[in-house]
Amino acid sequence: MEKVKCDCGHVNPYGTYLCESCGKPLIEDKGTVADMRYEGVARRSQTYSKTIIDKIWNFFSSVKVGIWIIILLLLASALGSLLPQEMYLPRGEQAITYYEEYYGFFGKLFYQLGFHNLYTSWWYLLLIAALGISLVICSLDRVVPLYRALKTQRVTRHEGFLKRQRLIAKTDKLEDAQQEIAKAEKILLAKKYQIRKENGNLLAEKGRFSRWGPYINHVGLIIFLIGAMLRFFPEMYIDDNIWVRDGEVAVIKGTDGEFFLRNNGFTVELYDEDEELYREAMERTGSPAVKSYETAATLLKRSNTGTIGVDTELEEVKDHVIRVNDPLTFEGYSLYQVDYKLNELAEFTFVLEAADEHADQSELADIRFTVDLYDPQTVYEFDNGFRIDILEYFPNFIINDDREPSTMNRIPDNPRLIFAVFTPEMDPEKDTGELSLVGIQVNEPLNGENDYIIRMVDVKMKNVTALTVRKDRTIPILIVGGLIFMVGLVQGSYWHHRRIWLQDRNGEIWVAAHANKNWYGLKKDLQAVAAGSKIPVPTDQKESEEAEQTRKVKEEGVTEDDGRTEQ
Amino acid sequence: MKKKRLIIRSVILLVMLLAIGNAFYNHFSAERGIVDEGDIAPNFVLEDLDGNRLELEQLRGKGVYLHFWATYCTYCRQKMQYLRDHYEEYQAKGVEIVAVNVAESQLQVERHLERFDINYGLYLDKDSLVTNAYGVVSLPTAFLIDEDGRVIEREIGAKTEKQVLASLNKLVPGN
Repeated sequence: MEKVKCDCGHVNPYGTYLCESCGKPLIEDKGTVADMRYEGVARRSQTYSKTIIDKIWNFFSSVKVGIWIIILLLLASALGSLLPQEMYLPRGEQAITYYEEYYGFFGKLFYQLGFHNLYTSWWYLLLIAALGISLVICSLDRVVPLYRALKTQRVTRHEGFLKRQRLIAKTDKLEDAQQEIAKAEKILLAKKYQIRKENGNLLAEKGRFSRWGPYINHVGLIIFLIGAMLRFFPEMYIDDNIWVRDGEVAVIKGTDGEFFLRNNGFTVELYDEDEELYREAMERTGSPAVKSYETAATLLKRSNTGTIGVDTELEEVKDHVIRVNDPLTFEGYSLYQVDYKLNELAEFTFVLEAADEHADQSELADIRFTVDLYDPQTVYEFDNGFRIDILEYFPNFIINDDREPSTMNRIPDNPRLIFAVFTPEMDPEKDTGELSLVGIQVNEPLNGENDYIIRMVDVKMKNVTALTVRKDRTIPILIVGGLIFMVGLVQGSYWHHRRIWLQDRNGEIWVAAHANKNWYGLKKDLQAVAAGSKIPVPTDQKESEEAEQTRKVKEEGVTEDDGRTEQ
Repeated sequence: MKKKRLIIRSVILLVMLLAIGNAFYNHFSAERGIVDEGDIAPNFVLEDLDGNRLELEQLRGKGVYLHFWATYCTYCRQKMQYLRDHYEEYQAKGVEIVAVNVAESQLQVERHLERFDINYGLYLDKDSLVTNAYGVVSLPTAFLIDEDGRVIEREIGAKTEKQVLASLNKLVPGN
């Protein structure tokens, strides 16, 4: 590509609009005011498109593309929030049936399109990745030339540059032009402008660093995105749930079977429904309200001595009462109280009764036995010669696809037991005994009519606590990213880059000024200069242009608008 | 100058692509288990229904089909029947089957053994210690351990009889 040599001698890259050094417009265009975006430098991406790498680069360098990515992300994110995501479904609900059942056809469509896991879908993540790439390339492509242009800008600017600034004015020929410029310099110095002089011309500049605000802001965003990306790595981020029954030990997920938690007791306290203070609120909610719930827990660590298995010893590390917002923390992990289940079945106690109500029950009086639903015994023998076997145990009874009785899992939510009762006269080796299927509200003889009935007389239940296991090493990265983001935002929003050019052209003082925002402040500065010297307040070419336009619109009813904004 | 720019652009794009690719790979690929192909299988000691101890290291020199299962897992049951049908044949060839029950009661495992006539060792992992140490999250999961105690494959999910046989063949020492 051809480089463009300006009259001032500076060599500009191809595509430069305003000479980097003197500001002379190198590309003619209509309109009275120059486009000062990026100082009129050539954004290289806009001009080179040769190799495939360049083409990819140029695609992502486009702000238009960036905005589209953001719009698509916004739409997708909104879409995913229409129905609950799969991870937020009520416990026990299956996504495959839930959506259709509750939301009808729309729900079914939602599920079939995979929107129930939208925020982790490949295309959503691809959009996020595209946003990251766009941020990096957009910023690089603009900040480098902008930095160069602001660094190499000269005090003396080309006439064409000055004329096409929004704020421009000139005096008549003055005898004491230099004196007037000196007066203006003093006023501008008092207003904390940085002054540079060259051949009797002057450039007053203020707040240039605010131009870097958007780029620093982008750096913060990129760091933030990197932090979010690191959440895909289990070393950096774990978010899981564990359920622990009262008195039991469970492994803490995500610790590779190294740490365990013992639930020493879960307690929940409800608001007193009879208390006057709460009555109204309680009636409104219609369900008991939890006042507090907590788990007395002990953290255990697998000792390194001995082989895993029956010889494994768990060492106590520490005790902690886990409450909402008071997690148990260790080695970067935190265990939060998140849910609970009250009254999970734990033990059944049975007695044996004769089916015939008139029969003598005295010989059965001593038969009372308890079945531990987590570990039932096979055989229960009694002093009077009776014997009861458990033939089958189904903690969570279902009839499976093969039409056989089976269990859904190992949680005793719907336990069924098949008992065989042997009287002292029977031989357990030869006889089958009286079989019955027993569960909650269930007691059926299986081989003909039974002489004896196993009757449930007591049930023991346990509470189960649910804890969230959380490890998040990305938080510091997210905080740093967020802080840098804010710094960039403040830097770009609360400071403004202002420049005032004063030039002595054969005794005429030309004054031109540019701000990337807050023109009002710049005009006030210029008014101060005008008040203390013969330099006039420049007219706003854009305003007069707009006034001209409105006049035209009123006359002809047409309008031209390029709604560009400056960065 | 132009060349330099191309190189810089290529490098920046490549770095971003690698980072994103890595994150995607991590997110979408099946996670590597705590114990997986190429690892030395962690030693463990478990007891069978009669309280007989088994230490994995004692099986060095034999191929070991380490199978994690539960009675409520349908695919486990199928697999266990295939294993039962071919156990004796492969035992003679130096392959041992170790079926570890995940946290169920002795009663259930005993009934399972009787119902399906299991002829190989069923071991109880009442507190899921071994299950967790091997990073087993879904059932059935099997580890093929060669005669040197190295995991040569981690298998998750249902398998056909053919697949089970292929796995057993891989375990025959010397194969």
